[in-house]
Amino acid sequence: MSEQKQKPSGLSSRLKNTLDFLFPFLVIGILWEILVRTGVIQLHSLPAPSTLLVKFWELAFVNGILWKHLFSSLYRLFAGYLLAVFIGTAIGALLAQNQVAHDMFEPTLNLLMSVPTIAWIPIFLITLGLGDKTVIMAIFTSSFFAITYNTMRGIEMIDKSIVNAAHLMGLRGLHLFLEVLLPASMLSIINGLRLAIGYAWRALVGGELLAAMIEWGLGKMVYQARYFNDASVMLLGLLIIGFTGYLLDRVFLTILERNTVEKWGMAVKK
Amino acid sequence: MDPIIQIQDLYKTFTENGKELVALDHINLDIPRNQFTVLIGPSGCGKTTLLNTMAGFEKATSGKILLDGKPILKPAPDRGYVFQDYALFPWLTVLGNITFGLTHNGWEKKEAEEKARDYINLVNLQGFEEAYPHTLSGGMKQRVAIARALAYNPEVLLMDEPFGALDAQTRKHMQRELVKILEKEQKTVVFVTHSVIEAVFLADLVVVMTARPGKVKGIVKIDLPRNRSYVEDHYLHYREQILELLEEEVEKGFED
Ligand SMILES: Nc1ncnc2c1ncn2[C@@H]1O[C@H](COP(=O)(O)OP(=O)(O)O)[C@@H](O)[C@H]1O
Ligand SMILES: [Mg+2]
Repeated sequence: MSEQKQKPSGLSSRLKNTLDFLFPFLVIGILWEILVRTGVIQLHSLPAPSTLLVKFWELAFVNGILWKHLFSSLYRLFAGYLLAVFIGTAIGALLAQNQVAHDMFEPTLNLLMSVPTIAWIPIFLITLGLGDKTVIMAIFTSSFFAITYNTMRGIEMIDKSIVNAAHLMGLRGLHLFLEVLLPASMLSIINGLRLAIGYAWRALVGGELLAAMIEWGLGKMVYQARYFNDASVMLLGLLIIGFTGYLLDRVFLTILERNTVEKWGMAVKK
Repeated sequence: MDPIIQIQDLYKTFTENGKELVALDHINLDIPRNQFTVLIGPSGCGKTTLLNTMAGFEKATSGKILLDGKPILKPAPDRGYVFQDYALFPWLTVLGNITFGLTHNGWEKKEAEEKARDYINLVNLQGFEEAYPHTLSGGMKQRVAIARALAYNPEVLLMDEPFGALDAQTRKHMQRELVKILEKEQKTVVFVTHSVIEAVFLADLVVVMTARPGKVKGIVKIDLPRNRSYVEDHYLHYREQILELLEEEVEKGFED
């Protein structure tokens, strides 16, 4: 109804946001370019932005290997992350509703949550090998705890009368979970998803560095560039890792937010 | 009298910080069918606890409550409940909220929506079918909640200070609306309030409770036509009668 009015005409505001976002990159890029060209900065291995652009063109459109790296990474990311979303939400819901399970596992959950993912990776390397499985497991581990914990807290904090109202209408079990507990705790769940995707993305890059059998992936691309002394590939890799992580958050989670908690008045519109 | 609900020797305690607290102390009470019963008493006397035990949200420590002769053990759709804080589902539209209880009790989606629209008309919310609860005023939210509770046709409607959060003007308006709704829709209602004015305006039967632990202090039958005015003599007479019963209890309530 009033939704249209509150967002000042979608397209032009989106354009402005994009420009705001790109502005610092432009300024830094131009400055850097000038400094390199005028010879103020003289590091033989540090490329100018124009060199990066040429490299980008080459990797993306001439030999196209950039996409192969990117999609290998995204595949691992989604495998590990989605696994964590399903298992984490289910276990979070269980812990929120079952007092015995809660008392048994909540402390463990808290303890394991503070173990950095990088510390898990050696264990995965020797148990799961040096390939995809290790990376996916690292991604899963990094995101699982945040999702589980936030789902649990979200469900625990649901207004008692909302649950009572649903009980009175006869909702139990899976229906109750999917149609009441899940939407009612959406704010906290999205918080968990957001934290988790950040953790997952970092675990991915770390995992790709350490899993020696892996040939493709953005992390691998950056790491391999070391052997060729190619700083432009490294920097390009970093930028793409940053951008992709940012876009994953913006695109998926912002769309999810807009269609759930913001629409339902649980969170203010951004 | 034909009681629909029989409360028999109901005793309810809570344990808080290891201490046992008696909330309801051996209550015996019959709720008459198709009548409007008001529970009134000082704050903390156990009104909500009593209502929640009827709903099945709370379990009796001892004693029991029968609905049509069968003990109430858990929440079920033969009861509707209107919460003070509305408890609407914020992720569903007005129509979705009212349809929800129907589709989960065997109704086809299309028929459920038709039925829900009837109730939207009943509570005067035409035009707001697709609105989300957070865009509505308090009074409108409570109308949705009433429609939601009535739509799946429960035997009994339980209401816990449903107008307590509304401003005085809206509150009066909602009281009149509720009377109108119940003229069209015969229902057994159990209504909790701490307002004597509200009690006399709405009730067929006022049950006055003692300060904690909650017991039945007295029952006042209100013999007035449905179309009541707040100022007529009879009305004031009933008010005095209930206030007298309450006053002793309120004083007691303040002592501890
Ligand atoms: N879940 C609970 N745990 C512990 N004590 C409770 C709980 N619910 C209610 N009580 C206590 O029981 C008493 C009656 O509460 P309540 O039924 O809410 O009173 P009222 O609705 O009449 O104000 C109060 O003293 C309250 O503190
Ligand atoms: Mg109360």
